[in-house]
This record gives sequence, structure tokens and C-alpha cells, in this order.
Amino acid sequence: MKRAFVSFILAIVFTFSTAYGQSVKLTLPNKDNSVRFLVIGDTGTGSEQQQELANIMLRYRQVFPFEFVLMMGDNLYGSEKAVDYKKKFENVYKPLLDQKIKFYASLGNHDESNERFYEFFNMEGQEYYHFKKGDVSFYALNSNYMDKKQVDWLNDKLATDTAPWKIAFFHHPPYSSGSAHGSDTKLREIIEPIFLKYGVNVVFTGHEHFYERIKPQKGIYYFISGASGKLREGNVKQGSPLTAKAFDRDMSFMLLEINGDQMYFQVVSRTNETVDSGVVVHHEPPKSTKSTK
Amino acid sequence: MTWNISFPNQDMGTQTDKLLGIQIAFSSDVKTTLITLLLSVGLVATAQTQTTATLSPADKQTADAFEKRVKDYAKLRESVEEQMPKLSKDAKPEEIETHKKQFQERVRAARAGAKHGEIFTPDAQALIRRIIKDEFKGRERTEFRDTVLKEAETKAVPLKVNYPYPEAGELLEMPATLLLRLPQLPKQVRYRFVGHNFLLVDRENGLIVDYMTNALP
Repeated sequence: MKRAFVSFILAIVFTFSTAYGQSVKLTLPNKDNSVRFLVIGDTGTGSEQQQELANIMLRYRQVFPFEFVLMMGDNLYGSEKAVDYKKKFENVYKPLLDQKIKFYASLGNHDESNERFYEFFNMEGQEYYHFKKGDVSFYALNSNYMDKKQVDWLNDKLATDTAPWKIAFFHHPPYSSGSAHGSDTKLREIIEPIFLKYGVNVVFTGHEHFYERIKPQKGIYYFISGASGKLREGNVKQGSPLTAKAFDRDMSFMLLEINGDQMYFQVVSRTNETVDSGVVVHHEPPKSTKSTK
Repeated sequence: MTWNISFPNQDMGTQTDKLLGIQIAFSSDVKTTLITLLLSVGLVATAQTQTTATLSPADKQTADAFEKRVKDYAKLRESVEEQMPKLSKDAKPEEIETHKKQFQERVRAARAGAKHGEIFTPDAQALIRRIIKDEFKGRERTEFRDTVLKEAETKAVPLKVNYPYPEAGELLEMPATLLLRLPQLPKQVRYRFVGHNFLLVDRENGLIVDYMTNALP
């Protein structure tokens, strides 16, 4: 009986291994009532490697039921015909789309504005937009064209936002150790004061084709996740004072989980290695003492 | 505000720090809070100062006239688009492609006689050149020139009014600080750098509305 049971378990393990390949190693707590999501960036190539990374995402979905995906822009490289939407996005992420996973896109320097109408990018016809998931407020921005209208919108929206977690995501990184691009200081000059004024906690960006966790800048956590479809190997400047952790050897994506005052993150490569993980803890001071400081 | 961040031990990838396994605490005492607050206020003030273009009355008149000409284009293209089937917020790729193509054709027909320099008149060009030159100085200018001239994938963009900006052409990021200083455009039209040139491009149909040369300092 015992032997039969062991054989049964082994058979299940074998079947699972065959179906899904290498097993996944989740470092996130996967608690009840968490906000679970992915961050991907610079995806739109339709390449075999992009597909391989998407397959890893699907494997993680089996053990970590994320509900949505944030896209950091450059969603479609090159032409943007109907066939390109299918080849560079729909076909690659079809299993996730079939599971009703919502993708929220931002626009990069290779994206036409018309992408904002695309059904699976959930942009509601806007180049910049806001949505909430539980206690988390998300701001998708168009860093490619940060004009006065957008700056005013961001100021107005944040001024009335009482969510404990305020997360902004867009294409160009205000801080970066990339040799090819580096920090976008012109953008930073405009948006960082707004983020500081209204308490934006975390910022996700792409554009650089690698992963980088920036050391907290004025209390804000910046992550670059721009290697989910393209890779610029070895592009992170070694010894950069900005870098807390970087990975530029292969493509990658981020898994995120927010529960209460904690945001857990795990970064996974195309070869299913966890290349970074950790937790950001955010403590709001009691309201009675807030005004005394 | 207090922040903590901790990272479990990892041994993968390009490891550029040795913080693993260490808990870092960012505890803000009163002093730190005050410094942060002052810094924030200072940054906001700096941003506002730098992004408010102070124009002379003559320049203001030039900017207003330029903005009016762009608005006239926006009105024209709106009247064209109103006669077309509306693109929904959850459109299929085929619908997006068809809409763009038809929109291009109709606006091109409506502006068949459009000429280079009708919107970027000589006085508007002079004002815009001055603003751009003033925005990029020293090392910033060199870096921006490198980005526009060497790195940007915009070589295939035709310099022709009423011609489409190629889909595969990069839409180079417009520097945010510059955008706040230039004459303001309606949402339908965008500024774009292509080589030494400065273009007005329709954000939906992708047509080049007008352009000026020698814009890059």
C-alpha cells in the first residue's frame, strides 16, 4: 500500500516535470488577500527568447496566482500592423490571456499612441491612466511625452489619492546604471518632485534591457525591468553607486506581492533562476504624530 | 516615515552589491524628515522655476499665433475623424490598423495643398530654435545631440508635409523640461526630433503636419 502510494506521488511529480519542465522556486509568501502581479518590460519582439520567458511566467502562475501584469513599454518593436500585435504580444502571452490575466501597458519610444485603444493593453484609450487594486494605487505614465497636460493630471490625481501604496510605472528610468542610456535626468527633474510631494513609494520602469534595483533615492524605490523581450548583455556599469542589485546576463521579469505594509519581489530569469528577491516594508506613522514631525 | 528593506541571500546574476542577507533600515528621525521636506520643497520650486518659460511680449505673440495655427490643424483633423467610425477603447488590432489607414488617407486629402512652413513660420522657427538652444547647454547638449543623431532609429523618416511617419521609426522621447517650455500643443499633435529637424506629427494618423530644419543646437 505504502509502495503504491509512493509510486503514485512519483508519477504525479514526473507528469508535472514533463508538463512544466524545471520546477519553480517561489520566494514570495503567497499570502491570502495579497495583490499579486508581474512586471515585464521591452517585450515586443515576438522572439523565441521572449516566448521562453513567457513560458516561465506561466509556470509561476501555477503556484503564484498573479492577477495582472504591468508593461513598461516598447510593447511592439518595429511595425504595428494587426499581424504584429498578434506575433509580438497575443501569441506569446496567449495562455495568460486565456486565463483572463489583465495586462496594463505603458508606452515606450517604440510604441505608437494608437496602442492605447488595443483591447488587451487595458489603457482605456489614454496614454496615461490610473487604476487601483486593493490598497495599491497604480499610475501608468507616458514618459515619452511628459507634457504640461500630463504633469497637471498627475499632480491633480495624486493630490487626492489616500492609498498607502502609490506605484508609478513608465518606460524611461529616472535612475539607471545603463551604459547605453543611463538616468533620464530631464524626466527626473519634472516627476521626482511630484513623487516626493505626494508620497509615491515605488517606481517601475524599462527602456534599459536589463534588470536593476536602484538604491532608494530620497526614500523612493526604483526598479528597472526592461529585459523581458530584449537583452543588452553586460550593459550595467560595474561599480555604479546607484545599483543595489543588477542582472544583465539574460532576460528577466519580476513577480510582486503586496500585503499590508509589505511589498515582496522576486526576479526570475529566462533560465528560471531567481536573480533577486526581497521585501520593501512601508510603515506609515500614526496619524496623531504625523503632523508633529 | 520609516522604511525597511531586506533581501534574502542570493547568488545569481551580476552581483554589484554585497547587501545580501543584511537588513537595512531607513529610519527617519526628525532631522532627516526636515531635510527631506526641505529638499522636496526645493525641488518642486526648482522644477516650477525651470519649466515656466518667460517670454517677451513679442515672443508671446509669436507663440500664441503658432499655437493657433496648430489648433486650426487639430480642428480640421477632428472634423475628419468625426465622420469616421469611432475607434473603441477595446479595439482589435485590425480595427486599429484600418482606422489609422483611413484616417491618414482622409486627412491627406483634406490637406492636399499643405505646404512646408505654413505652421512653422519663420518667426515661430526662430523662437523655437532659441528655446531649444537655451534648454541644452554644455554636456547636456552633446549628449542630446548624440541621442538624436547617432542612437535614434529615425533615419527612414521622410521630411515631407502630409506624409506618414514610418511605423517602424522610433518616436524619440521628448525631453520633459523642454516640452514645458515650448509653445503648448493640442493633444492630437506632437513635437518630434528627427535628426537636425523638428517635426509636428499627428499622434493618431501619424502624418507629418509640418517641420522645421536646423532645430538641433
